[in-house]
Amino acid sequence: MSLNPNDAIIRIQNVTKWFGSIKAVDNVSLNVPRGSFTTLLGPSGCGKTTLMRLIAGFYEADGGDIYIDCKRVNGVPPYKRNTPLVFQEYALFPHMTIFENISYGLKLKGLSKTEIKEKVDEMLQMFSLQGMENRFPRQLSGGQQQRVALARALVMGQSILLLDEPLSNLDAKLRVEVRGELRELQQRLGITTVYVTHDQDEALSMSDVIAVMDNGIIRQIGSPWEIYFKPRNKFVANFVGTVNFIQAKIKEIAGSNIIASYAGGEISIRREGYSVSPGQRVILAVRPECISISENNDGVSGANQLFGEIKKSSFLGHMIRYWVKCREQEFIVDDFNPSRHGCMSGKVNISFDGNKVHILEGEG
Amino acid sequence: MLTILCIVLATFTFVLWPLIKVVTFPTIDDYMNFFRVQRWYYAGLHSLYMTFISTISCTIIAFIFAYTIVRLDVPFKRLFRFITVLPIVSPPFIIALSYILLFGGQGIITKHLLNIKVDIYGWQGLWLVQTITFFPYAYAVIYGVLRAISTNLEYAAFNLGASPWQVFRDVIFPLCRPGVAGGALVVAINVLADFGNPLLIAGNFYTLPTEAYMQIAGWYNLPTASVLATALLLPAVTIFFLQRYWVGRRSYVTITGKEIDLAFSKTPSLVKWLLFSVCLAVTTVVILVYGVLVIGAFSQAWGYNWALTLKNFRYMLARFVEIYNSLKFAFLSSLLAASFSMVLAYIVQKKQIGINRFLDFLGILPGAIPGLFLGIGFIMAFNEKPLALTGTGLIIVLGLAFWNIPTCYSSSLAGLQQIGNSVEEAALNLGANNFRSFKDIILPLLQVPFLSGFAVSFLRAITNLSVVIFLVSPRTVVGTISILGLVQNGVWGSAAAFTVTLITIAFVVLGIAQLIMKKTGKSLDI
Ligand SMILES: Nc1ncnc2c1ncn2[C@@H]1O[C@H](COP(=O)(O)OP(=O)(O)O)[C@@H](O)[C@H]1O
Ligand SMILES: [Mg+2]
Repeated sequence: MSLNPNDAIIRIQNVTKWFGSIKAVDNVSLNVPRGSFTTLLGPSGCGKTTLMRLIAGFYEADGGDIYIDCKRVNGVPPYKRNTPLVFQEYALFPHMTIFENISYGLKLKGLSKTEIKEKVDEMLQMFSLQGMENRFPRQLSGGQQQRVALARALVMGQSILLLDEPLSNLDAKLRVEVRGELRELQQRLGITTVYVTHDQDEALSMSDVIAVMDNGIIRQIGSPWEIYFKPRNKFVANFVGTVNFIQAKIKEIAGSNIIASYAGGEISIRREGYSVSPGQRVILAVRPECISISENNDGVSGANQLFGEIKKSSFLGHMIRYWVKCREQEFIVDDFNPSRHGCMSGKVNISFDGNKVHILEGEG
Repeated sequence: MLTILCIVLATFTFVLWPLIKVVTFPTIDDYMNFFRVQRWYYAGLHSLYMTFISTISCTIIAFIFAYTIVRLDVPFKRLFRFITVLPIVSPPFIIALSYILLFGGQGIITKHLLNIKVDIYGWQGLWLVQTITFFPYAYAVIYGVLRAISTNLEYAAFNLGASPWQVFRDVIFPLCRPGVAGGALVVAINVLADFGNPLLIAGNFYTLPTEAYMQIAGWYNLPTASVLATALLLPAVTIFFLQRYWVGRRSYVTITGKEIDLAFSKTPSLVKWLLFSVCLAVTTVVILVYGVLVIGAFSQAWGYNWALTLKNFRYMLARFVEIYNSLKFAFLSSLLAASFSMVLAYIVQKKQIGINRFLDFLGILPGAIPGLFLGIGFIMAFNEKPLALTGTGLIIVLGLAFWNIPTCYSSSLAGLQQIGNSVEEAALNLGANNFRSFKDIILPLLQVPFLSGFAVSFLRAITNLSVVIFLVSPRTVVGTISILGLVQNGVWGSAAAFTVTLITIAFVVLGIAQLIMKKTGKSLDI
């Protein structure tokens, strides 16, 4: 997805943030398109929260610029940024009732009592919190507290919403449920959302744009589809989903196809988008579900096939995952049609479909 | 910025300056005298010896009480718990006073029951009195740790085949060892610094605090008093920091346990009833101590005429201004201590001004300084311009306030740490500026720590003797000083009436504080 930087409602340019000798955010640039759901995805400690807090103004960047709505906000204190944030641990005010919590920001804005009541009621309704306005946060369940935190941010009526791992304190089932609700709400209200998570499923299922972070650096920005099927490097491929890496060498470029040679023979990959030259060493990335597996009792491998032996398998109902050892390398293979040959064991052949193999150009 | 400057300046003036003044006042030769004059050198040994034996006896009794109250299913547990609060809200030397009323020349037991005459002044009596006076301090710490131990651990040990004794030896006791050590050190600090009890009943067993007091009260010999006070300060500071940085840190980890879900495993009956009888015996003694006081307060003449009378209370009312002084100074100093500590804690916790660690150190430092030392420090530091405060009420308020700073500071700091950064940030995020977020978020959330700091300071201030004894003037005499004077002159009845009044006031304050706390869903820890 390419976009005109002026469409970006939040623009981060070469931002760096140090904590003592730790570079928590390292020369990061990111455009958050208007109305998009943009996710910062990465392992814990990679700097997601720090980047989010730089946007909200809790920290000042040591280098680089941040623009919100085309206005440079470096040096603007947090209470003047209009960037409502939902905190990971909710940060509800423990001494205020639910009503007071949600209305606090409106009160600071100087709205009249009736206006406040009207807006808060709307939020209570939207998040099914009616009847709880006089309770205190500690009297609510985790899910309810999470909705109050969301209501407190949304009631401000800003066009931006920042969410820092808002689902991480919910139990697994609720998490999946709220995921859907949240995405639907965001689309309905058209709010530009920046979402922080370390959970790849969340990122893939909710986002328009994903920025994958590692060690303070953004490793790739793209749509969920691009991030999953066209990862730019080993880190992204590995962090998002499961992947097999294969050492290979570009043999030739034949028309619209690239021919690569690897231990199991040759494979032809569609050329689109890659700029490789013959002789170049590359790594091929193949998702487990893009490898097919079949029984083989005579021990020979055919064209574009590898011969191996199943070391381990795990039955998950809708699929079986195999760990197959082929010479030195172990492959993870998912069979999404388990009823076809039941649970296999022993000697097998695995093979790759050239259309489902991705070339990592920069690695080799 | 101005606030920060004021706070830093005040901390330096009222904590560091008196300290430096006392330590640097004597010459090297004065210090050498400490080892040359046998009496002073012995006072040091006596202090250490008494601290050592009392710490052991207090810790054992405290552990038995804590174990019984936490884990055993026995009658009178509420009474036992009450017993552990009593000495904390009482003026010091109360137990010593009762001890004289019980066993002294006119004692109920010695004279009237047994009709014997014994010399009760000496280390044995002091040991008994110190044990009864200070075991509740250790109890509070051990109780907290013992309660926090997850019962799952002992069931796990049973599950692996351990007997009840082995479970105690291998699991329960090791887990509360930090608590026991912490409690013991708290007792040690208090016994070491205690002044009232030894003054009344130690007889020839003089200790550092009583000697230092005699040097000033008797001879106005400031250099020697400073030497003795410094000799007292050294072990006190050592014990304090040992407790704070070594044990304190360990025991906190266990206190943050979850609510207990399984019932405690049963203690064998024999052990159970043995522990129970120890508690009952100590409880009886404590009840006797306080009962004697009440009887004394209502008697014509202790030891001669037991007729009921209100004359002691009439006498007390005639001198009510002294009680009123106690109340006034306690109230003002606690208010000052609690407010000052709150701001100090806020600065230490939230503002990076470069000397945070040092300020934190100054905040807790007075906890290591024996009250007597602080008192001497204040008269030496503030008897000349620009801060000539000697004889005023202000010096008492300041002395008590800074003596109480650590109590309030710790509770404010804990409160702030609980609030966490994100709640304040949430307010900023919603549009509150720094001032609004302090006013709307931090202040309301610190109400409970403020109140509990205030209440505990008040109780400590109203029952304090060691700090105020050097600071009072004829116009500013407080209750504890009057009691001391009455006791020294053998006017037992009036002394008892004063004491009963002070304890009653302390309990009323405690009750009010607890009532307010209950409304906010918290409980008061002393
Ligand atoms: N206030 C802070 N002071 C010092 N180091 C910090 C602070 N906040 C974060 N860090 C460090 O910066 C790095 C990134 O942290 P963070 O942004 O919280 O990661 P994430 O949210 O991705 O888990 C970590 O190494 C963390 O230890
Ligand atoms: Mg984070």
